[in-house]
Amino acid sequence: MKRNAFLILWALLISFAAIAQSGLPDVDKSPMDMCHYPTQYPNLKTQDKKTEPLTARVIYSRPKKEGRQIFGGLVEYGKLWRLGANEATEIEFYRPVIIGGKKIVKGRYTLYAIVNEKSWTFIINKETDVWGSFKYSPAKDVARINVPVQQLNESIESLVMNFEKEDQTIKLVVAWENVKVALPISL
Amino acid sequence: MSKQFSILALLACLAFGCDQQEKEAPVTEVAVSPDTVKNQQPDITVNPFANVDVSPMDMSYFPVDYPKLKMANANISPPVIRLIYSRPHLQRRALFNGILKYDEPWRLGANEASEITFYKPVGIQGKKIPAGRYIIYGIPHADKWTIILNSNIDSWGLKQDSSKDVGRFVIPILANDVTLEYFTMVFEKTDGGADLVIAWADIVARLPIRF
Repeated sequence: MKRNAFLILWALLISFAAIAQSGLPDVDKSPMDMCHYPTQYPNLKTQDKKTEPLTARVIYSRPKKEGRQIFGGLVEYGKLWRLGANEATEIEFYRPVIIGGKKIVKGRYTLYAIVNEKSWTFIINKETDVWGSFKYSPAKDVARINVPVQQLNESIESLVMNFEKEDQTIKLVVAWENVKVALPISL
Repeated sequence: MSKQFSILALLACLAFGCDQQEKEAPVTEVAVSPDTVKNQQPDITVNPFANVDVSPMDMSYFPVDYPKLKMANANISPPVIRLIYSRPHLQRRALFNGILKYDEPWRLGANEASEITFYKPVGIQGKKIPAGRYIIYGIPHADKWTIILNSNIDSWGLKQDSSKDVGRFVIPILANDVTLEYFTMVFEKTDGGADLVIAWADIVARLPIRF
């Protein structure tokens, strides 16, 4: 009974909140974030410490694991995934790059993935400003690349992406749960 | 209806009151309205690659919710404006003479400078702004904001380079009828364009954009 009363109160509070906010948006459950190559580029630029030009930027949302099985569960194997939450993940190149042998001109793209147990397929698609992966069209693909899955010893709570560099290749590292993959981007 | 509201508000205060007294120091400057208390969990989570930001990033489009509209209608024309900003929260601090200082520039967000992209030319207070990407920051005064568009994109918000300002626009600050825990910027349709609505705590301001 006490629990029911609490639930009712909670429901009332939520509806109250929805009204009181006058339609202004709440904070997303999966917050958006941004990463750059060079890493921390805006910070470096503002401190006059940048040593190379801005090459790439990713805007993505960061869902949390919250005790759920992610890969093979929430993110089903073999299905297209927006690689985030809410708006589809956006990757922008500030110069031409090569992914999976395909030359990609500078500009904004949407980044998707098809996740499997041992490997992921990254998909670069030119349809931008989209929500999720519901209207994905392979006809708009500009590149696809398969990469192996690496296991992590620790569990990552929030989906994370970050750029790393090795020789003339930068890698977009994507990690969540106990899995890490790297998308190679040649300059 | 208003009676219902007062009951709900009372319930809300009761529900959160005890909890807050146990965990928080006595409230001083700011009365946070119950509608936003539910957001007051710490957002930070440690992550070996990149921590989750305390002030989460968000994105606003005009047309509002453009990516969702596009999902429903593949032939929709391109968006007009996109804004990317981070959303600091009050966390029991006063907005003015607390988080913000009068007459001192503020990045209108947190972390990276807030970025606004116009997908076609627009007009603001009679000034023509070419299509493209800009950063946006502001200077709060007692009763008005100076809102500034600047071309120093991909920068960190703390240091503004005013030599790269593209336009400065003065808009009034108005009282809002709700208190917002999180800094909020959205677009609202108007005749002949859209307003950029800038709201936080108990104030709101609107920058009219014409296109």
